[in-house]
Amino acid sequence: MNDQTVSEARLGSILATAVDGIIVIDDKMNVLVFNAACERLFGYYATEVIGRNVKVLMPEGYASQHDDYVRNYMRTGEKKIIGIGREVSARHKDGTVIPIELSVGEAATTPGRQFVGILRDLRPRKAVERRVSQLQAQLVHLARVSAMDEMGAAIAHELNQPLTAVMLYLQAAERSLKKLNGDSPHDPAIANLLQKGLREADRASSIIQRMRNFVERREPERRWIDIVNLIDDSVDLTLLGANANTVRVRRRYEESLPDVEADPVQIQQILVNVLRNAVEASRGAREPWLAVSTAFTGSSVTVSVEDSGPGIPSEVMPTLFKAFSTGKRTGMGLGLAISRTIAQNHGGDLTVDPGGNGRGATFILTLPAKADAPRRAD
Amino acid sequence: MAVFVIEDDEAVRDALVILLSQFGHQVSGYPDAESFLTDVLPGEDDVVLIDLGLPGLPGNQLLRWLNALAAPPRVVVISGQSQSAILDAMRDFSAVPVLRKPLTVGSLSAVL
Repeated sequence: MNDQTVSEARLGSILATAVDGIIVIDDKMNVLVFNAACERLFGYYATEVIGRNVKVLMPEGYASQHDDYVRNYMRTGEKKIIGIGREVSARHKDGTVIPIELSVGEAATTPGRQFVGILRDLRPRKAVERRVSQLQAQLVHLARVSAMDEMGAAIAHELNQPLTAVMLYLQAAERSLKKLNGDSPHDPAIANLLQKGLREADRASSIIQRMRNFVERREPERRWIDIVNLIDDSVDLTLLGANANTVRVRRRYEESLPDVEADPVQIQQILVNVLRNAVEASRGAREPWLAVSTAFTGSSVTVSVEDSGPGIPSEVMPTLFKAFSTGKRTGMGLGLAISRTIAQNHGGDLTVDPGGNGRGATFILTLPAKADAPRRAD
Repeated sequence: MAVFVIEDDEAVRDALVILLSQFGHQVSGYPDAESFLTDVLPGEDDVVLIDLGLPGLPGNQLLRWLNALAAPPRVVVISGQSQSAILDAMRDFSAVPVLRKPLTVGSLSAVL
């Protein structure tokens, strides 16, 4: 074998093996080389394309300008794409327009100038980008809905106690004053002040009432849902939001789970919340991971999320599910309180095994599944 | 008539005890069901005001326990929880009056 045949064999092997499409054209724009990856990308056999003008691989707009581009370059030397590479559209044999990344190189050969194009199919990347932006939109929506609900419910609940006490104290004071002075109070100014105080407390109470009505009017939209889809979406959302590619996720789903009757948005709120906590808790671990598993107990479906953190200190446990109890500076610290409330409103619960001694914490979401519900066949 | 107030929020409990005493009732307050049950056995002429969201034994469990007495006292439930949580907890006790917080003298005297 002489040197030339060795190098030709090598080139042939490179062309056949390359994952990216490789095209070589001459200075008249005729295709000289069309590799195997190109055949897959464009749906043409090499024999159909070789010898033809390369614009057969371009959609209308590009095709009509391409000759001018190349002529212009050869006349002026002004580089539009050579050595730069950019995103362009290609045309499949069936007419489909494919986004590709094209880089072009140039080779001076004895028969004349030749151009080498390397093409990468951008569709998988585009699909990922689309999914990411979809998830991001979903995350924003979820955050907005849950912020409204959380704020409303938490404020109503947290302010109710002191407000109740204030109103009762004021009413007690008013009655004491009346008893002291008979029905015509000795000092009408004090009675008047108490009246005003009561009126304002009443006003505050009706504001809370309205807020509560607003939150409660949005009754959960229950329907039968496949919890596994919801978990997978929530995991994606969480890793996306937390920018936590370093956390490994282990999934262990039971073979066939019955659907659960639930409001998917609300349940996702719980899952994202619990998963985020798990990512947070695992951050300090040397090889952070979290494990999501599902189980069916006959009357309910459970979703367990275990983290690789240090576990939950026992002094935190009593207030873990109470609103505003968190030490976290981010968020409102309402997450777990609201999550448990949502779970309980669904007839389920959210509980925790605190772990510790080298074990992470495990949060367990329980949702009722109808015992006679049809089991999902996968 | 004796009135027992089982409410974990100290200010609410204190205010309730003061106000209900003004009505001329014999009122005592407890922060949870456990301390109430170990202290006294209410009679059928008495009224027990129970907050639903008690620490330890939940309000509706206390209610169940009181209802099982030979001569159960009258019970009024108070709660700051959401409507659906209240409905859920009170599913078996549709006859028991529930007052939602914030409470007023009017709503209290109406059920007492």
